[in-house]
Amino acid sequence: MSGTEVMRDLHSVATSHRGDRIFNRSVTALAFTALLVLAGIAIFLGLQAIPVFAELGPAFLFTTSWDVVATPPEAGIWGMLYGSVLLAVIGLAVAVPASLLLSIFIVFLAPRRVAAALTNVIDLMAAIPSIIIGLWAFYLLNPPAEEWQRLLNQYLGWIPLFQNASGNFLGTPFIAGFVLAIMMIPIITSVTREVLGRTPPELINAAESLGCSLWTMLRYVALPYGRGGIVGGVMLGLGRALGETIAVFFVLKIVFETNWFRVIDSGGGSVATLIVSRFGEVSGNFELQILLAAGFFLFLMTLIVNVIANLIVSRTGRLQK
Amino acid sequence: MSTEVFDSTRRDVLREQRIQRPWTKRPVKFGFSVFLAVLLPAAIVVSAFLYTDIPGAIILVVGYLPLQLLAAALAALATKGRRGVLDSFIIVMALGATVFSFVILLSIIISLIVRGSQALSSSFLLQNNVYISSSTPLGWGGVGHAVVGTFIIVLIATAIAVPIGIATAVYITEVRGRAVPYVRFFVQAMSGVPSVVAGLFILTVFIVTGVLEQSAFAGALAYSILMLPTVARTAEEVLKLVPDDLRTGALALGSTRARTVLKVVLPAAKTGIITAIILGIARVIGETAPLLLTALKADETILNPFNSPIASLPVYIFDYVAVPYPDAVTRAWGAALVLMLLVLVLFTAARILGRNRIGR
Repeated sequence: MSGTEVMRDLHSVATSHRGDRIFNRSVTALAFTALLVLAGIAIFLGLQAIPVFAELGPAFLFTTSWDVVATPPEAGIWGMLYGSVLLAVIGLAVAVPASLLLSIFIVFLAPRRVAAALTNVIDLMAAIPSIIIGLWAFYLLNPPAEEWQRLLNQYLGWIPLFQNASGNFLGTPFIAGFVLAIMMIPIITSVTREVLGRTPPELINAAESLGCSLWTMLRYVALPYGRGGIVGGVMLGLGRALGETIAVFFVLKIVFETNWFRVIDSGGGSVATLIVSRFGEVSGNFELQILLAAGFFLFLMTLIVNVIANLIVSRTGRLQK
Repeated sequence: MSTEVFDSTRRDVLREQRIQRPWTKRPVKFGFSVFLAVLLPAAIVVSAFLYTDIPGAIILVVGYLPLQLLAAALAALATKGRRGVLDSFIIVMALGATVFSFVILLSIIISLIVRGSQALSSSFLLQNNVYISSSTPLGWGGVGHAVVGTFIIVLIATAIAVPIGIATAVYITEVRGRAVPYVRFFVQAMSGVPSVVAGLFILTVFIVTGVLEQSAFAGALAYSILMLPTVARTAEEVLKLVPDDLRTGALALGSTRARTVLKVVLPAAKTGIITAIILGIARVIGETAPLLLTALKADETILNPFNSPIASLPVYIFDYVAVPYPDAVTRAWGAALVLMLLVLVLFTAARILGRNRIGR
C-alpha cells in the first residue's frame, strides 16, 4: 500500500499551510461530536440518577415496584431490566437460527438472482419503522399468536415455561420477543450473510473435493471461519432489541412484578417501553427523574453490548483482511 | 463491435464466477427428488387442513414440519446416501426460515396496502387534525399537518447532522489524524444509542432546563443524534472509494489540503454523499419514541419550529393505534402507508444512486 504512504507524506507537507491548519482543526473538532454526545448522555442522565439513588438506595435497581406518589416514594426497576433481557433472549431464540439459516440459504443455496433479490428484501425489512411493526403486530400478529399460545398452554402447560395463571394470552413476553425477533432478523442476517459470503472459495472447494457434504462444509469450514462475525452480529441485534421501545409498547402489558419465566403469561417488563408509557402521565419532578435514571441504565446496558459487538466484528474483519 | 467485446468479457467474468463457486451447481436428479419431497408432505397437510378440524397451528408444527423433514431425509437417502440426510435438514430449514421471513414481510406490506388505502384520499393527505376526534368519520381530517411536521423536523435534523457527519468522515479518510480509531469507535458506539435515550438526553439538557420548548427543533436535535452515525459511516465508505490519484493530482497542481477536499474529493463523491444523507433520513423518519418526549403532538398545522409542540407522522400513528373506533384505526393504517411510502422512496433512491456509483 505505497499509495497510503505517499498520501501520509503529502499530508504532513501540506499541513504546513495556514488555511489547512484551520481546516484540519475544525474538522477534527467536529469529528469529536460523537464522543461529546456519548459523554453528554452519560453525564446528564447520570446526574439525574444521583438524587434517585439518594432517595431510594440500591432498592431502585434490585426491587420491582412503582408507587412514586406514596411517602416515602417507592420505585424499583429490576422487573423492567430483567424483562428487557428476557424479551431479548426470547427474540434471539427465534432470530438467531432464522437469520443463520436465512444467510446460509442466501450464500450457499440460492441461485444468484434469488440471492440478490433476497438481500434487497432483507434490507427493506430493516427499513420498516418500528411504529409500523407495532401497528402490524397489534392487529395482525396478536390474534394468531394468542391462539398459538393457548394451544401451547393446553398441550404443554405442565412445563413451567408454558404456565399461564392469568388466563390472558395477550401482552405476553413471547409476543413481544417475537416482534423483537422480526426486527433483529434483518440486522443479524446482514452481518452473518456478509461474513459467510467472505469464506474463501478455495477453502470451500478444498472441502468439497475432499468429499465434504454441505453440512460438513458448514460445520468445519464456513461457520468456524465466520464465528467472530456471527457472534458480533448477534450482539448488534441484542443491542437493538434492548433499546426497542415502540414496537414493544403495543404488544406487551407492563406490570410491576417480576415475570421470571412464564413467557406466555400476560405481563412483563421493558425499560425502554416503561419510559415512554409512564412519560405521558408523569406525576411530578421526582417521577421524571426516576424515568431519566432508568434511561441512564438502559443507555449503559446497550452501550456495553454494542461496544463488545463492535469490537468482535472489527476484530474478525481485520483477521480476514 | 464494441458490444461483442463487452459480451465476451462479461461471459468470461460469469464463467470465472461459476468456476469459483461450484457449490451453486446441483445435479438435476437432486433437484427433482427435493421437488417431490416438497410436494408430498404439502399435499398431506393441505388435505388434513381441509378435511379435519384440527387447529392450523397444530397441523403446521406437529404435522407439517416433521413430515417435511422426514420426506427430505428420505429423498436425500435415495439420491445421496446417508451423508445427504443432514444436508437435507439444512436445506429444508433454510428454506423454511426464508419463507418465514418473507411471509412476515409480505403480511406487513399487504396489510399496509389493503388497510391503509381505505383511508387515502385527497382530504386525508391535505387536511389537518383540528376538530377531529377518534369517532369522526374518515371523510374529514387527515395527516397533512403531520407530513408538514415530519418534513420540518427531518429538514432541521439533516441540516445539523449532515455537516457534522461528513466532517467526521473527512477526518477519518482525509485528515487521517492520530485519533482515527477512537473517532470511529465513538461513532459506532453512538449508532447503538437507543432512540428513547436520545429523546431523554435532549429532554434533560434542553427542555427540563427551560432552554427550549417541546418543539420541532428539540425533536430535530434528538433525530440528529440518531442520524449522525449513519451519515458518518456511509460517507466514510464513500470517501474511501475516491481514488488517491485525484488527491495527489490536486496536491501536485498546487492545491492546499482544504481545497483538495472541498473542491476535488467531496465533489467526486457527490452521489455517494447524497446516498449517505438519504440513508440518514431513512434511518430516522419513522422514529417515534424521541418525538414523544421532545416534540409531543399538535392538531393544527404548525410551521414555527421553536415555540410549540408539533405533529409528526409516527406520533400521529401512535395516537390512533389502540383506540376502539375502527375509523380512527384506519387513520393509523393510512398514516402508516404514507410513512412507508416515504421510506420506500428514500430506500429506492439510495439504491439507484448506490448502483450508479458502483457502475462507474
